[in-house]
Amino acid sequence: MTCLDALRRQRLFFDGGTGTFLQARGLRGGELPETWNLLRPDEITSLHAAYLEAGSNILCTNTFGANALKFPAGGQFSVEEIVSAGVTLAREARAMSGRKDVFIALDMGPTGKLLKPMGDLDFEDAVALYAQVVKAGAAAGADLVLIETMSDSYEAKAAVLAAKENCSLPVIVTTVYGENGKLLTGGTPASTVALLEGLGVDALGVNCGLGPAQMVPIVEELLSYTSLPLVVNPNAGLPHQVDGATTFDVGPAQFAAHMEHLARLGVQVLGGCCGTTPDHIRAMIAACKDIPFTPPSDKGRTLVSSYAQAVEIGPRPVVIGERINPTGKPKFKQALRDHNLEYLLNQGFAQEEGGAHILDVNVGLPELDEPALLEEVVCALQGVLTLPLQIDTSDPAAMERAMRRYNGKPMLNSVSGKAESMEAIFPLVKKYGGVVVGLALDENGIPPTAEGRVAVARKICDTAARYGIPKKELVIDPLTLTISSEPEAARITLEAVERIGKEVGVATILGVSNVSFGLPQREMVNTAFYTMALQRGLSCAILNPNSAAMMGAWRSYCALAGLDPQCGSYIAAYGGQNVPAPAAPSVTLSLGECVLRGIREGAAQGAKALLAEGKPPLDLVDQVLIPALDQVGQGFEQGTLFLPQLLMSAEAAKAAFEVVQSAMAGEDRPSQGRVVLATVQGDIHDIGKNIVKVLLENYSYEVIDLGKDVPPQQVVEAVCRTGALLVGLSALMTTTVVSMEDTIRRLRAACPQVKIVVGGAVLTPEYARQIQADCYAKDAMATVRYAEQVYQS
Amino acid sequence: MIQTPLLEVLRYLGYGAHHPDIETAALIAARMEAVEQAADPRWLSLELPLTLQTDGVCLGDWFLPSRKLLAHLEGCTAALLFGATLGVAVDRLIARGEAGRVAEAAMDQAAAAALIEAVCDDACDQLAARYPGQYLRPRFSPGYGDLPLTVQPELLARLDAPRKIGLTATSSHLLAPVKSVTAIIGIAPHPGACHAGGCATCSKQNCTFRRDTL
Repeated sequence: MTCLDALRRQRLFFDGGTGTFLQARGLRGGELPETWNLLRPDEITSLHAAYLEAGSNILCTNTFGANALKFPAGGQFSVEEIVSAGVTLAREARAMSGRKDVFIALDMGPTGKLLKPMGDLDFEDAVALYAQVVKAGAAAGADLVLIETMSDSYEAKAAVLAAKENCSLPVIVTTVYGENGKLLTGGTPASTVALLEGLGVDALGVNCGLGPAQMVPIVEELLSYTSLPLVVNPNAGLPHQVDGATTFDVGPAQFAAHMEHLARLGVQVLGGCCGTTPDHIRAMIAACKDIPFTPPSDKGRTLVSSYAQAVEIGPRPVVIGERINPTGKPKFKQALRDHNLEYLLNQGFAQEEGGAHILDVNVGLPELDEPALLEEVVCALQGVLTLPLQIDTSDPAAMERAMRRYNGKPMLNSVSGKAESMEAIFPLVKKYGGVVVGLALDENGIPPTAEGRVAVARKICDTAARYGIPKKELVIDPLTLTISSEPEAARITLEAVERIGKEVGVATILGVSNVSFGLPQREMVNTAFYTMALQRGLSCAILNPNSAAMMGAWRSYCALAGLDPQCGSYIAAYGGQNVPAPAAPSVTLSLGECVLRGIREGAAQGAKALLAEGKPPLDLVDQVLIPALDQVGQGFEQGTLFLPQLLMSAEAAKAAFEVVQSAMAGEDRPSQGRVVLATVQGDIHDIGKNIVKVLLENYSYEVIDLGKDVPPQQVVEAVCRTGALLVGLSALMTTTVVSMEDTIRRLRAACPQVKIVVGGAVLTPEYARQIQADCYAKDAMATVRYAEQVYQS
Repeated sequence: MIQTPLLEVLRYLGYGAHHPDIETAALIAARMEAVEQAADPRWLSLELPLTLQTDGVCLGDWFLPSRKLLAHLEGCTAALLFGATLGVAVDRLIARGEAGRVAEAAMDQAAAAALIEAVCDDACDQLAARYPGQYLRPRFSPGYGDLPLTVQPELLARLDAPRKIGLTATSSHLLAPVKSVTAIIGIAPHPGACHAGGCATCSKQNCTFRRDTL
C-alpha cells in the first residue's frame, strides 16, 4: 500500500519526541541534534528502533533543523550529508525491524527566521532553503515530507511549494497553536486549513505547543473545516520548570487516554511531540488501534483566507471591497504612477472600517509593469491588513506572481468560459489554491439569456473538475449589464443568479454598480438591485463598502434572512444612532488652530472653507499652514510641545495640504527640493525615518522614501537618478551604523555634491562626524531645519 | 494582562516630567489599549552554570567575551538566558500606523516599548520566585557595554526561542519581532552592591530618554 492510500484508509501512528531521548544520551545544550546522524548514528538508529518497537508506522527523520542557515556551505557537514544520512538511518532501522507497514517522513521544521516584512528572510529564499532539504531527502528515499511545528503560515507555504516543486512525495503539514487557539503569527485553524488545502497538501494537523487535552477545541475546529486526513501530535502536556529544566507532566497512561478521545472525535493520524517517549506511543497505540477508522470526508466549505483569518463563502453573503482599482479614478491612477503605496493602503483601511470582508486588488494600468506592481501591492497590503484579498487581473503572469507571494488562500478575479482563459488560470488555482471567479461568457461573448449563462457556468465547472478543482472553489459571475441600454438586463442576471445556484450548485458573485450606469441617483438603483440579487441567492458582491446605503442593504438583508443572530451585527452598526449628537462647539476653529491642535478633519474642512471663500491655494499654504507648522515646530524645539502633538499637527496639516492639492487642478505645490530617505541596510527600525518623512513633506520637500533595510547602492542610485541635494539616513544600532558608514562612503565617491544628514538612537554629533556625515539631527525638526539650510543656501 | 506603565510611555514620547494635554492623553490611552490587544506576550528562560573568567564569562560551555558582563555577574553562581517578545501583531500594528497615521505609530511604538519592559519585569519577578533565598541580578542584554549583538543568534538558539516563542534575529542581529528583549540574568547567593540596570549602565550620557535626566 502506498503512503497516500494508507493515509486515507487506515489509522497511522507517528513516533514521539526526539529531544529528551537524545539529551538522555548526552546531547549538549547548543549542540545541533542533526549532527548525530553522522557523529553518533547508532543513537539515532536506536531512537527509531524504540519507536518501531512501540508500534509507530511513520518515522520522522532526525532532520528537523537541517537547513543551510544552521549548516552553511563550507561547514563541518553539508545539508545534503545530514539529510541523506538522516533518511538512511530511518530506512535502516525499518529494514532491521522487518516491518513492511512503516513510512519514512522527511522531517522539516521552521527555519528559525521570520519572513519579510516582519523579519529579513525573503519568501523565495525560504523556498530555496527547503528545496535543498527536499531534494536530498527524496533522493535518499523518504516516503513522504512532513513539514512540522510551523507557527507561521507564510513559512509553511514556502515549505509546501518547495516540496511540491522538487518531489512527488505526499506532503503533510502540522502547525503549532497557542492556548489562545492561534498560530504565533496570528493564523486560526480555519485560515490554516484554507491555505494548506489550497496548496494541495495530503494531510494536515497540529503538533507541539500544547498537550492533548488543550488541543481538543483546536482539533474540533480543524475537523469541522478540513476534508483531509487530520494529524495530531501533541506534547506530553504543558512544559513545567523543575530545578531549572523543562519537564512535561502527562505520563503514558494519561496521554493514551487523551489520544483515545481524539481518535474517537475522528482524528485519523496520531503521534507525539515534545516530552513523549516510546512508552507514550506504545500506550497510545494500545488504546487507539481498535477504534474504528473514520475516513476523511469532504466538508464542502468554501474558504478564502489571509495570514490571520478565513472568510467563508455562504451561507451569509460576502462583501468584497471594490475600491483598490484605478478604473475611472484619476487620483488612484496618479498614486500608482507615483508608486504611492500609502494611498492604496489607506483605501484598504477605509474599506476594512466600512465592513468589507475581502478586498479586490486591481492595479492594471497599460503603462505600468503589472506583474511586478501587483506582487508589490499584494505584499504591502497583506503586511498591514488582516482581510483576505481578491487578486484581480487579466494577466496570468501577474496573477501567478501575486498568488505565489500571497500569504493565504486568495480569491481570484477571474477566469472566463473561454478555453484560453481556463487553460491559463486553472493550473495556477491547482498549484497555489484560490477561490476563482468564473465569468459567464465565452468565445461567443456574453450569452443574452439566463439559460446561456447557466450553460457557460456549467462548462466552467466541468472544465475545472478536469483540473481537479472542485465546484466549491468556484464562484460564478453571471455578469451585470446596464439597464439603461438593455431593459431586460437586470431580470436576466437575476434569473441567472438563482438558476446557477440551484441548477449548477455553485456560488455566485456580481459586480453590482454597473447596473445603473448612465442613470441619475445610481446608488438607489444599485441598492435595490443588490437586495433583489441577495434574495435570489447571491453569495458575494463586489461593491463600495464605504457606501452607507449598500452596507445598509447588506446588514438589513442578513437580519431579515436570519443570518444575523439576534440582529447583533445590525444593532452593533446602527444602534444608538437616534441619540441626538452632542451640541457642536459654538465656535468653529480656524484652520490655523486646527493645525496647532492637531485636528485632522477640522483642518481639511477649514482648508475647504477658505478655498470656497476665494483664498488662493498658495496663499493658504504660505499664510496659514506654514506659519502654523512653524509655531508647532518651534514649540517642539523649545520643549514646550512634544512629539505626539508635533505629529498630530503634521497630520492635520497634511489633510489640509491634500485639500489644497486637489484644488490646484493637477498643478503641484512648488517643491522646496528633493530629499532621499532610507533606513540603512540591516536595519528594520524605521519609525524615526517615517516621522522625518511626514514633516519634510509638510514643509513642501519632495521625499523619495526608499524604505528600510536599503542596500547602499540603492541609495546612491536614487540620489543620482533624482538629483537630490540631501540624503537622510537612519540607523538604530551600532551594528547597523557600519552599514550607514558604508553608504556614506559610496555617496561621497559617486555624488560628491550631496549633503548627508543622519539620525537614530545610537548616534551622537561626534559619531556622525566620525562616519563623515554632514549633520547629526537629534530629531525630525532638526532634519527639517537642516534641509532648509541646504536648499536655501 | 500586564498593564502598560503610562509614565514610561510618556517618557518614550519625550514628555519628561511634563503632562500631555487632555486630547493627546486620550489618544495615548487608546493606543496603549490597542497595543495591549495586539500583544501576545511570551517569554522563556534557561538556567546555565556560570564560571567567571578573566576576560569574560562561561555559561555552560559557551564563552562570552565581555568584561562589563563579567563585572555585572560578579558574585553570581549561575545565570539565566532570557528572551521575551510581544509578538508580530504589534509590529504589524505599528507598520499600519506608519502608513498615514504617524502620530498613532509613534504612540504605539512608545506603548509597546513600555509594555515589553513591563512584561520582562513581571517575568523576572516570576523567575525570582523560583529561586527562594537567592537574588536575581538585573537583566544585561546583548548590545550593552562590550557584550556584542553578535551573540544574539547563539543566545536565541540555546533558548530555542524561534520555535518556542517566535523570537528570531535578523542577519544583522536585530531582534524580530521588534518589540522583544533578550538578556542574561545572574543568580547570586547574596544581594549585590548597587546593580543598576537599564539607563544607568548605558554610556550615552546625553540621551533625551535617560531616566536620571528627567
